[in-house]
Amino acid sequence: MTRAPSRRTATRRSKEALAVLGGLWLAGSVCAQTPAPPAAPAPAWQQGRSSDQATSTLHPFAPILTGRPASELPVDKLKLPAGFKVEIYADGIPEARSLALGDKGTVFVSNRNLKDVYAIVDRDGKRSVFKILKGLNSPNGVAFHSGTLYVAERHRITAYEGIEDRLANPPEAKLVIDNLDPTQQPGHFWKFLAAGPDGKLYFNVGAPGNIVMPGYTQATINRVDPKTGVLEIYASGVRNSVGFDWDPRTKDLWFTNHARDWVSDDLPNDTLHRASKKGMNFGYPFCHQGDLPDPEYGKSRACSEFDAPAFKLGAHIAPNGMRFYTGTMFPAEYRNNIFIAMHGSWNRSTKQGYSVMRATVDANGKVELTPFLEGFLTDAKADPPMWGRPNDVLVMKDGALLVADDYNGVVYRVSYRQ
Amino acid sequence: MQPERRRGPSRPIVAGLLGLACALPALAAGTDAQRQQAAPCEACHGAEGRSTAPETPSLAGQPKQFVTTQLVMFREGNRKNAVMSPMAVPLSNAEINELGSYFAAQSPAPAGKPLAAGAAAAGRGLAEKLYCTQCHGAELQGQQHIPRLAGQQTEYLRTQLLGFKAGTRFDMDGNMTAAAQALTLADIETLASYLSTLR
Repeated sequence: MTRAPSRRTATRRSKEALAVLGGLWLAGSVCAQTPAPPAAPAPAWQQGRSSDQATSTLHPFAPILTGRPASELPVDKLKLPAGFKVEIYADGIPEARSLALGDKGTVFVSNRNLKDVYAIVDRDGKRSVFKILKGLNSPNGVAFHSGTLYVAERHRITAYEGIEDRLANPPEAKLVIDNLDPTQQPGHFWKFLAAGPDGKLYFNVGAPGNIVMPGYTQATINRVDPKTGVLEIYASGVRNSVGFDWDPRTKDLWFTNHARDWVSDDLPNDTLHRASKKGMNFGYPFCHQGDLPDPEYGKSRACSEFDAPAFKLGAHIAPNGMRFYTGTMFPAEYRNNIFIAMHGSWNRSTKQGYSVMRATVDANGKVELTPFLEGFLTDAKADPPMWGRPNDVLVMKDGALLVADDYNGVVYRVSYRQ
Repeated sequence: MQPERRRGPSRPIVAGLLGLACALPALAAGTDAQRQQAAPCEACHGAEGRSTAPETPSLAGQPKQFVTTQLVMFREGNRKNAVMSPMAVPLSNAEINELGSYFAAQSPAPAGKPLAAGAAAAGRGLAEKLYCTQCHGAELQGQQHIPRLAGQQTEYLRTQLLGFKAGTRFDMDGNMTAAAQALTLADIETLASYLSTLR
């Protein structure tokens, strides 16, 4: 026969029951806000990190989202070849990311973490900066073509026709293409945008993580015809490209690409690519830098199956925006060179990049890389190692080169005088 | 009604100290303009940003970039809070910068009472095991856009960690949401109590 529980035991049990209920209530109140949250995976930038790298203190650097005034920036620390000069062209553009030039001289500046597009207008010797679009979803890409501004958000591309004539009262967005991010991918969802010589809009869809098997539309450069909305994959096996331009002589597409992280300080290289035709595959996730099989995916495919890069730029140097120099202000030998904004390393114990570099390409396609604008890197071992980060470049009508700095929210102007 | 606090200096001593402090040129680090601008913040976040309200975070000694990033994110609607969202809406970038500079310059003080040695060691162990120290720094004092956890209000830390675990707390880069998945409710208690005691 079982003894009836004593009063004390019963009390204790009921307290335990309450505690369990309390625990459930607490869990319930947490869960009530999001129905059954799936266990969040490691953030995209940590994905692919080995277990012995878990104690690494390397981390991406966040931009200063309020921007910093020109007066706070040590522009005198910047270095250029003889005859060149750099000054701050505009400040007050938090997270100045990508640049585009309107037919009438307006400079359009985008955001990645923020939600806005800005215009810089230089008229009658007076320069003004104002926000023209807001409330967008990671509007990293801006391109201008035939009087229309195109903006690439994480999920769509829209057109703003005739916007230069009505910057104070921009037209409604017209949809070019939607549903570009059906999986809400955790990484590399921001898109670079440029209008090709064929009048089509080219943009990247990055790999959703550091080193993962991409979906059909991921790790690609795409193009869409703004007249018809027809979408094509132009190049694949591209981990993430946030800068491209066309060689004014050959009309070939050239683009920069970020290689994977967490292999080592010196491997793999970030790369510069030439895509002379549609349908090339540059190897991700199987092969990096044209000749380095991925430690995991490399077992399945050989590097020889893929198209090689035009040049290895350096590991973790983070090449972002790039443009061919088509102006006449700089010395003649700069014509048709490529300027590349090196956003700079985080996943490397000794940081590199944080500069604008100049790539010359000879008739045989041989590339040579030299520093152009330097001095943002203050201490390659420090955290953070820099006071500024070049993110994009733009050739102005007068031949000056603009450089966007998304860390400080400013745009610099590089000019030349003999 | 709250019982009057027993410990602490007697009233005449407090008055004397206040008199001394008032004679000094500045009570808190920062400019007059910054102090004036920060006054509405201090109504909830405490004098010089040292909170005495369990659910309200201390701002004293937070990295400037953490304060400015959060204010921008409240203003832009990415991070939402019934009190903070409307407070942030009218702020300009320049004002946010000043507030960031002001609170970064203030001296933090631990919100929590000292723990028994065992509890402190358990907290430290968890903070290392769960990699808190990798980003928040060896002393958990924060850096760049990453907040100071040392000395923070226990209840605030608990709420944030529960929010990250549930995926409901705004998270710019997904780091904390991912990190919080490994936490049990007991871990959260241990960490929150431990972190609140640090300098």
